[in-house]
Amino acid sequence: MNYPFWNVDIGYGVLMASIAVIHVFVSHFAIGGGLYLVVAETLARRNQDDEKLNLLKKLSKFFVLVSVVFGALTGVGIWFIIGLLNPGATEVLIHNYVWGWATEWTMFITEIAASILYYYGWKHMSGRNHIIIGWIYFIAAWGSLFVINGIITFMLTPGEWIQTGNFWDGFFNPTFWSTLWLRTGVCIMLAGLYSLLVLSREKASDFKVSMVRFNAIWGLAGLLIIVPTMYWYWHVIPQTITDTALKMMPTPIKSLTASFWNVGAIALLLIVFGFIIPRRLHFIAALVIMLLGLSWFGHFEWMRESIRKPYVITDYMYGNAVEVSKKDVYKKQGYLSEIKIRTGDDGKDLFLHSCRTCHTLDGYKPLKPAFNGTDKAFIKSIVLGAHKLKGNMPPFWGTKKEAGLIADHIYKQVDQRDLATIYGLSGQALGAKVYEVRCNRCHEIGGYNDKSEALLTGATEESLGMILDMAGELAPEMPAFTGNAQEKKALIEYLLTVKE
Amino acid sequence: MLLTLPSYDFISAPLWLVTVLHIVTLTLHFLAMNFMVGGLAIVLFGCFKNKQANPIVEKFIRAFPSMMAATVTLGIAPLLFVQLVYAKPVYAASVTSAWFWLMIFMVAMGSYYFLYGAAFSKKFIGIKQRVYLIIALIGFVYVSFVYSATFSMSEHPDVYQALYASNQTGLVLNPNIMSYLFRWMHMLAGAVMVGGFFVVLLGRDNEQAFIVGRRFYLGAFLVSFVLGIAYLFALKDILRLIMRGPAIWILTGSIALSVLSVFWLYKRKIVLTSIALLVSFVGMVVVRHIVRLIYLKGSALAFDPAQIPFQPQWSIFIIFLVCFVLALAAVGYMFKLFYGEQK
Ligand code: HEC
Ligand code: HEC
Repeated sequence: MNYPFWNVDIGYGVLMASIAVIHVFVSHFAIGGGLYLVVAETLARRNQDDEKLNLLKKLSKFFVLVSVVFGALTGVGIWFIIGLLNPGATEVLIHNYVWGWATEWTMFITEIAASILYYYGWKHMSGRNHIIIGWIYFIAAWGSLFVINGIITFMLTPGEWIQTGNFWDGFFNPTFWSTLWLRTGVCIMLAGLYSLLVLSREKASDFKVSMVRFNAIWGLAGLLIIVPTMYWYWHVIPQTITDTALKMMPTPIKSLTASFWNVGAIALLLIVFGFIIPRRLHFIAALVIMLLGLSWFGHFEWMRESIRKPYVITDYMYGNAVEVSKKDVYKKQGYLSEIKIRTGDDGKDLFLHSCRTCHTLDGYKPLKPAFNGTDKAFIKSIVLGAHKLKGNMPPFWGTKKEAGLIADHIYKQVDQRDLATIYGLSGQALGAKVYEVRCNRCHEIGGYNDKSEALLTGATEESLGMILDMAGELAPEMPAFTGNAQEKKALIEYLLTVKE
Repeated sequence: MLLTLPSYDFISAPLWLVTVLHIVTLTLHFLAMNFMVGGLAIVLFGCFKNKQANPIVEKFIRAFPSMMAATVTLGIAPLLFVQLVYAKPVYAASVTSAWFWLMIFMVAMGSYYFLYGAAFSKKFIGIKQRVYLIIALIGFVYVSFVYSATFSMSEHPDVYQALYASNQTGLVLNPNIMSYLFRWMHMLAGAVMVGGFFVVLLGRDNEQAFIVGRRFYLGAFLVSFVLGIAYLFALKDILRLIMRGPAIWILTGSIALSVLSVFWLYKRKIVLTSIALLVSFVGMVVVRHIVRLIYLKGSALAFDPAQIPFQPQWSIFIIFLVCFVLALAAVGYMFKLFYGEQK
């Protein structure tokens, strides 16, 4: 809350992902590709296989152009974007890990210099020396993964650091090793998939067959590392996090499931094309395999990012830069006095710093549809009870008055007609809508925090009416029912049909 | 569960050490950037006679992508240190101009590819190459302008506060143009001057290159001198403070050394020129640093880095130093392998 807020209409998650996803694809490829190139070059030189050397030469040009230029600059880009989207968290990370980053930077220097010399060295260097440079490249590149991995995994599982504040406790945190090997597997897999793609354009020949096989082995070897390390990873994440995710976080779980399907499909295609019909490896097939690989990886990263919600650094800082250690301060004085750089509109400031990091009004995780046809009192209760909604949101630690200001700010922008008018519904269908808008976010029927039993056992029209009248007293976070009479009637009608 | 959580309001190495590393890496970054930007300007507008045949032009064009890699790589470290020590004002300014800030890396990436496009072509220097290089140069002008605007704004918390209050979309740039226009142009002219030096250096045994480089060196020196003085007077509110501190001596020394370097260049004393240039360059970077400190201390933030608590992390710091030395050794070794076989 120490910083201005970039009020851009694109969702923060989307902005972050659009740069981060490209960067992780390229950077992992840059590591695996480095290993692939030296290993393949060593083999080719041993067998004096000029055809293969030529292919590698071609690969390495692309490799430098993509991995060095794109990898390096999108890496800088990630740094720019996290500083814009969450300067508070970036500040925490830099203050704790500046020498980690500086160490990574030394690897980066080596990596960049090596890749350039490797590429230009094809022309005149002896095999031996050229391969030495290739190895230096790979070692530095993997070293930079090693270092950055400590910082990235720290955010999900800070481990002992939360108590000690010690650099190494945070660095070698519970998910460090599993993620390191998982990512190493990804590097190897991507190198295989990418080189398959290049190779698929060669015309069918014995050379192609042997190379397709070689590359498919890389892909499979990567997968072979990925599958167990993924399992390991999931099991070293503290169970409270994984359980919560399974219970109330749709986003990471969807990604996880999708990633399993991807793994199966890639393995199958690699076996088919690598070992059964290598001669037939067509560009389209190779492209599909590659895209599946990227899709798997994208899902993994999405899962990893979203499972951390509501935190940006677990138990330390929430996604909206609310600091856990300042809970008492916030609760006593509210958020406003902590928001250092102001727009002049208190409701807007509060909204930006409490909600906008994760939501937009119309686009990504939009709030307008959630609040169209409701009222200020309802919005205010949702703000105050945010941590009870499905989705695992951070609690709101500001004052009641501030929650009211947020509600005013949101209410100004939503559709203020009633639900019946907005959706053109009546009767039971309207009731279902009322339930969806006013209850379902906290109680899914047959799902998350289901209350239908308490609500519906022996329910009658009168009893439901009474419950709705006193809804605000049922629990501190439970909103009073503030819909109009028609909506109330429709909701009761709907609930009675659910009962049957 | 309310433990006292670890604080993040600290720096993990002594401030002087961070500052030294910051200034050293920033100087290196500027040098690489100047080689590239100044080199581009001279290659494009140097009026080399008989361009096709002039090997120095080709040498530069082939070197640009690698210089870009060096610029980016060497830029990362000072960016890290500036964000470490000056987090509050630097982030605040960059968030306020978010779109412009974010475009920096995209534009830089575009320019990078255009440099490669020029370097990979067969003909030196054809119309296509010329266009590529001009596009790359425009990109760098953008990048440098946004950096000047944003870093200058970070020195004026009242400016970003007011600007943010009026607009939160990130589509606004520092409106206080007089506070950075001369600063920015001074830096660009300085880049051309250093570019001229590198043309001389790489073209030592090429009379035409020597003459062109020297001409640019002198011309850019004069321009950047005038702009620098203009910038100095535009600092009016803090000029007094600069005059009173060590900054004025460092500045005077740097200017004197630049003058000497021009003189030595005309005497063809390349080694002396390089030393004078380098020392005055470092001096300028130090002065720039002092100006920032003075501004921030006098601002509404009353920010003084000396007040950030020091909480050492020596183990990782030492690992960093070891890795740094190893990296330099590895790079040196690879160059040896690479050039050893070229002859
Ligand atoms: C750390 C991120 C985060 C913050 C901050 C946050 N939310 Fe959420 N919110 C979520 C997630 C995640 C969901 C679940 C939606 C999903 O996964 O599609 C959600 C869901 C919601 C929903 C239900 C939306 C629907 O269509 O079902 C509402 C309403 C909501 N949030 C309101 C708010 C308000 C008001 C604030 C500010 C006080 C806020 N949120 C702050 C992450 C956040
Ligand atoms: C902001 C979240 C929220 C919303 C929206 C919400 N509730 Fe609740 N509700 C709660 C909480 C919190 C509790 C009590 C603690 C718990 O078990 O989660 C609760 C409890 C209940 C209970 C159980 C009371 C008991 O004594 O066991 C019923 C019934 C109920 N809610 C019905 C509803 C209905 C009907 C709606 C829609 C009109 C609704 N709630 C909307 C948060 C919410």
